[in-house]
Amino acid sequence: MEDFYNPPDHFIPEIRFKAATGELNISGESFHEYSVEFYQPVFDWLHRFLEIPNKTITMNFKMTYFNTNTSRRFLEIFDLLEDYEKNKGGRVTVNWYYKAHDVDMKESGEEYMADTNLTINLIPYVS
Amino acid sequence: MEEKFSNYNFYSSFRENKISLAFQGMISQDLLSLIGLSLRRKNDNEMVARRLFGLVIELAQNIYHYSTEKAYSEKDKKEVGVGIIAIGETNEHYIVCSGNRMDSRKIKLISERCDYINQLDEEGLKMYYKDQRRNPSVEDSKGAGLGLIDMVRKSGNPLTYIINDSDKPNAFLTLAVKINKTLATT
Repeated sequence: MEDFYNPPDHFIPEIRFKAATGELNISGESFHEYSVEFYQPVFDWLHRFLEIPNKTITMNFKMTYFNTNTSRRFLEIFDLLEDYEKNKGGRVTVNWYYKAHDVDMKESGEEYMADTNLTINLIPYVS
Repeated sequence: MEEKFSNYNFYSSFRENKISLAFQGMISQDLLSLIGLSLRRKNDNEMVARRLFGLVIELAQNIYHYSTEKAYSEKDKKEVGVGIIAIGETNEHYIVCSGNRMDSRKIKLISERCDYINQLDEEGLKMYYKDQRRNPSVEDSKGAGLGLIDMVRKSGNPLTYIINDSDKPNAFLTLAVKINKTLATT
């Protein structure tokens, strides 16, 4: 299966999914006005990727800003991964990186932890 | 252009009201990126700048999707909303506001939503946000409701709204929220 890559722009994140290693990275900013349309290719890829059971997946979020629309798309990604772990023998680790003093980004990670049954590691970094 | 038009009047009015940024027109994605950059350049508190930017984005989204006044965006290849975004300030606060024409029934829904959100406490806001993120209401397919909750959570202040031309089918809605210049980070 091919990798997925979306180059970053001012309002869209860099997305780099590696099929062979199961390393899925999303970083930067996301405030596309049409988040459903923008993330559709991401979901198309994920659906195909998750057809094969028993993979080990590491999902890394390293966002500096995302709008409320995007937050719905992220929740949908978490739901997919949670379902994969529950029903398809997957092993999923989510790393949620946030700038050391960014309390809002940290809180977003905590809220996803409360909203899903996935293992989510909150990891501060100094930029 | 009318003879009465005067940039000096604009300038004076902005100065009087301490408006540091104002834009009227098509609210495009590129414009929002520029606003984000200029906020980051200006403000020495990174956290405040980021929250301020978040408020602008959520208000702009409202204009982009719901303004009944539209203009064709060559870049997006579709009609997008036209409206006003402004940032003003007092000694203690920044005030971010949006203004645009909207279907009066939609304005009624939004103002009722604001009233509901404004009376929630911190925990109530958190629960409502969680609930709305997972189960968006039917009229909220584009996510305006979530944005309103987020604005109150990020600013720590209630939303205010003013409705002009309320007797017309397309009334004019002003939404505003203020945010402290210095944040008590928790």
